Amino acid sequence: MIGVAPPAYDPAAPTTAETLPVGAPATVRAYVAELFQRHRRAFLALVAVNTVAVVSSMAGPYLLGSLVQHVSDGATAARELHIERIVALFALALVVQAVFVHQVRLRGAMLGERMLADLREDFLVRAVGLPPGVLERAGTGDLLSRITTDIDRLASAMREAVPQLAIGVVWVVLLLGGLVVTAPPLAPAVLIAVPLLVVGCRWYFRRAPSAYRSEAAGYAAVAAVLAETVDAGRTVEAHRLAARRIDLSDRRVREWTAWERYTLWLRSVLFPVINATHVTVLCSVLMIGGSFVLQGWIGVGQLTTGALIAQMLVDPVSLILRWYDELQVAQVSLARLVGVRDIEPDAGDGSLAPDGRDVHADEVHFGYRAGVDVLRKVSLEVAPGTRLALVGPSGAGKSTLGRLLAGIYAPRSGTVTLGGAELSRMSAERVRSHVALVNQEHHVFVGALRDNLLLARTDADDAELWAALGAVDADGWARALDDGLDTEVGSGGVLLTPAQAQQIALARLVLADPHTLVLDEATSLLDPRAARHLERSLARVLDGRTVVAIAHRLHTAHDADVIAVVENGRISELGSHDQLVVADGAYAALWRSWHG
Amino acid sequence: MQIQDLPYPDPGVPDARSGPRFLVWLGRNQLGGQLKALLWGLLHFVSVSSLPFCVGFAVQAVVDRSGARLAAAGGLMALCGVGIALGDTMLHRAAVTNWITAAARVQQLLARRTAVLGSALTRRVAAGEVVAVSTGDVEKIGWLVEAVSRFTAAAVTIVLVCVALVVYQPALGIVVAVGMPVLALSVLPLLPRATRRADFQREKAGRATELATDTVAGLRVLRGIGGEELFLDRYRRASQEVRHAAVRSARMWALISAIQVLLPGLLLIAVVWHGVNLAREGRITVGEMVTVYSAVMILSYPLRHFEEIAMAYSFSRPSAKRAARVLSLERATDGEGSREAVVPSGDLYDPTTGLLAPAGRFTAVVCGDPDAAGELAERLGGHTADSSELPSALVGGVPLDELPLGSARSAVLVQDKDPVLLSGTLRELLDVPASGDVSPEEALSAAQCGDVLDALSQGAPTADDAMDARITERGRSLSGGQRQRLALARSLVTAPGVLVLDEPTSAVDSHTEARIADGIRSLRQGRTTVVFTSSPLLLDRADRVVLVHEGEVAAVGVHRELLHSDARYRVVVTRETDDEAAAHELTHLRELEEIEETA
Repeated sequence: MIGVAPPAYDPAAPTTAETLPVGAPATVRAYVAELFQRHRRAFLALVAVNTVAVVSSMAGPYLLGSLVQHVSDGATAARELHIERIVALFALALVVQAVFVHQVRLRGAMLGERMLADLREDFLVRAVGLPPGVLERAGTGDLLSRITTDIDRLASAMREAVPQLAIGVVWVVLLLGGLVVTAPPLAPAVLIAVPLLVVGCRWYFRRAPSAYRSEAAGYAAVAAVLAETVDAGRTVEAHRLAARRIDLSDRRVREWTAWERYTLWLRSVLFPVINATHVTVLCSVLMIGGSFVLQGWIGVGQLTTGALIAQMLVDPVSLILRWYDELQVAQVSLARLVGVRDIEPDAGDGSLAPDGRDVHADEVHFGYRAGVDVLRKVSLEVAPGTRLALVGPSGAGKSTLGRLLAGIYAPRSGTVTLGGAELSRMSAERVRSHVALVNQEHHVFVGALRDNLLLARTDADDAELWAALGAVDADGWARALDDGLDTEVGSGGVLLTPAQAQQIALARLVLADPHTLVLDEATSLLDPRAARHLERSLARVLDGRTVVAIAHRLHTAHDADVIAVVENGRISELGSHDQLVVADGAYAALWRSWHG
Repeated sequence: MQIQDLPYPDPGVPDARSGPRFLVWLGRNQLGGQLKALLWGLLHFVSVSSLPFCVGFAVQAVVDRSGARLAAAGGLMALCGVGIALGDTMLHRAAVTNWITAAARVQQLLARRTAVLGSALTRRVAAGEVVAVSTGDVEKIGWLVEAVSRFTAAAVTIVLVCVALVVYQPALGIVVAVGMPVLALSVLPLLPRATRRADFQREKAGRATELATDTVAGLRVLRGIGGEELFLDRYRRASQEVRHAAVRSARMWALISAIQVLLPGLLLIAVVWHGVNLAREGRITVGEMVTVYSAVMILSYPLRHFEEIAMAYSFSRPSAKRAARVLSLERATDGEGSREAVVPSGDLYDPTTGLLAPAGRFTAVVCGDPDAAGELAERLGGHTADSSELPSALVGGVPLDELPLGSARSAVLVQDKDPVLLSGTLRELLDVPASGDVSPEEALSAAQCGDVLDALSQGAPTADDAMDARITERGRSLSGGQRQRLALARSLVTAPGVLVLDEPTSAVDSHTEARIADGIRSLRQGRTTVVFTSSPLLLDRADRVVLVHEGEVAAVGVHRELLHSDARYRVVVTRETDDEAAAHELTHLRELEEIEETA
């Protein structure tokens, strides 16, 4: 059998469920329309300069045709010929063409870049407006892949495909128009090849976009395995996985090249179709046109012009075919980007404001999936300025309870209130001016140290920033940095230790100054030496605030005013350290083991 | 080599002495493929360039009113068509096969080199370079490999056409033959500038992508504390910088396009002017003039390959250099070893610190300095990543450094502070070379992974069994504590004679940590286990606790005993400051009195 079947394994098939929505066709269409509307003038200008460029490019064939006509009409006609004038016209057309081709390339790029910039900026605007609850649930992985992979794919589509397709279509239409004007009877000859082209292209474009997607995913997987082997060098060596990693790499190479072979087969069908189309067009124009000339219906000059224009059709047709599938691939990426627009931005009730600082949970039930409650009938009261420690085994629901108290999730039933107002109904901006959640994630943003602090209070001056750093014992190393607050930190800049990253997170809290803090194992990823040092900084930050600490080290619990032991989605023990030790339950047993 | 036969059973030993040598080595290994591409390329380009002759022939036939010659021109043209289509398709197939086989070979070589380097990669700058070669450089090298035969075919064709034109119509042909080299070389001086601008644009784009991913990665922080506008503005600025750089780069390419229109156009005008004069004088026919015109028009196609090869070469040269450098990296220690490949057993002993872990016992090591602990843990496994002057650790009296790397690693498994979870299903994660004494279920339950299994099966609703659920790269979808427990389960399932764990539960809550300590203890019954920790919950369950202070063993005993007898130990383990330690001394005395009283 001739031909290659698509490989069974598809590396582009999703392995994990899509965590954020993908745009519906209507959303995508609306977005494209909006984008076009925004850049209407640039689009029209591109079409206009392109028209001039193409029309002037046809001057050559036209002038040559008239020359051929004169010369072949015999000596008399040839003598009347003003060759200098024609050459001058030819040169003028050429200069016009060169200038306008320059303009077409430049304007095409400018338009493409503008659209691309709009697209990526729009996406980030949407992304930073996502409700915190959506982010906590979905994680940032899906968003990250959209802003890297999908923006990348769209880049070549916007930068090249859209302008080039616009150029190509205009070009073809004008060339055909030129043919109709200069040699009307020849126009139908061009159409003979159309059915072949249509059938071939339909076959190809039905298969190509998804095949190229799989091929690209397959190639990315080859590099991904290698990157992982490098990253996990020590683990790979310790577990003697080297041979398996090589096998895995070879398997990925096999999977990738299987798709390369398939797409190569697709092109092996498309290429002869395109070549045959071009030759058929040229051949039919010459043969049919030639017999017309022999019949005396058209002149030899018209035939020459027609043949040369038919020859010129190669470029725009190749251009369209080259970029068409890029556009198809881009559609999928675009749907993933605008999908973020389908998520309701977090509006909240603007008029709702807390009156007081006491946090209150009343008969709260909560679950991530319908029918499975992670928290059951949890009631809790945290008076202003109290330190509450949540302890309990992993998976008991401590972190979930923390997120409910921080207003990130809304309870399924029951209420969580701050100063009598329901947290889940307030806007994220309002909530965070009162309550902050601090987790293990101490992200240091790429950029100046100043920006890393300013985000907490954008109008703070340098003195306030230094004061905040001082409050968390970070001014020592910060002052030692070469450029002070202007020092570039994060990946690519000065690399901060985890402890320094944590101090920056704490300094942000000092600046943001919320009266209630939820700490989710905030120091758990630090080594003990750093943790001990940080706890002093932390203690200063916590002073005077209401604190809910999800603790996995018992000495944190020991220092708290109230300890809640969370087991199996319920609060099983509640009281001060001394009370719980006297009660002699699970906490007491653990404490004894810990403290010896 | 055909694509369907990939991957190579053995990608060979590359000549990685320098970039150009590496390119030559790659080329030598696919000489057949290059030759094939060259021949098909010649068929293609020659057929394309023959079309103008057919066009001229046809026009002349019409001028001469000869139907038969017109039909003959049609036949010739059909023949050219077959040559074009066949040549084009087969050239493409051969050239793409060359690039895919070259790319596959380089990827395979990289995979093998990485596997050999192992732990040596993590501390070197080389880690980033290996990834850069794999993700970017392979494609550029492949581009050159693909383009070189196509370019050669195009260049040969241009020469052939010029020669043919000179023979066919010397008076006009000579104009074309003189003009062609000018056209071929005209844009080359502009290319370095254009590629520099393109590089600058890529750099800016990379920066913008970095800012975007960074903002998204820290989005939870932003949404939790604020500053969205600050970061949006920053990104908008970066995004606009990309746009400006891209437009600047486009300006250069637009200029190149304009030149590519202008110069061939001037040549055409020269041909026409000269041609018409010649035709008026009757020295050439109309058909010949059309042929030459048409040939100049069509030669712009093979001419484009001059531009392509110049760019491919300038891009791939640094790439080949980097690839050669990465492929010539070596390990610090000799992985072959000087002894026979046997797996030793017995007490584990480190001569440098004097640390002894008796065979079959559970030893906990307390070390105030986490970095020193990490180095000691690595040394206990032998064959350290960096070359070291210190003597090798011994198992049953055998220096591990003198064993082959594989034997040393089977004898002792060292789980470092930051073990990496490799992506794949949970089943694949736990499918590691193992002694087979411990089942995955036992290991998972000892490491208290129940809730991790729940979380994984929640994340993958299609998998019926949590073992089939996928773990993403580095286990990013899991919390720090969950990752740590899975890594521990993987080490437990290996069940090596000696297991060294560095802070295996630092991110786990106390409740769970206590259960894990019991799990490790019962699962490792009768095997040698060393745990670096400062957690009382683990120390309390060890047979023997060793305090390493300033690079030497300072005290040996059991947890409760050391807690009472050694102040340094107490400081490290209970995280007390000195004042607290003094206070503790008092309460402790009181406790003792109470115990005595009750007794």
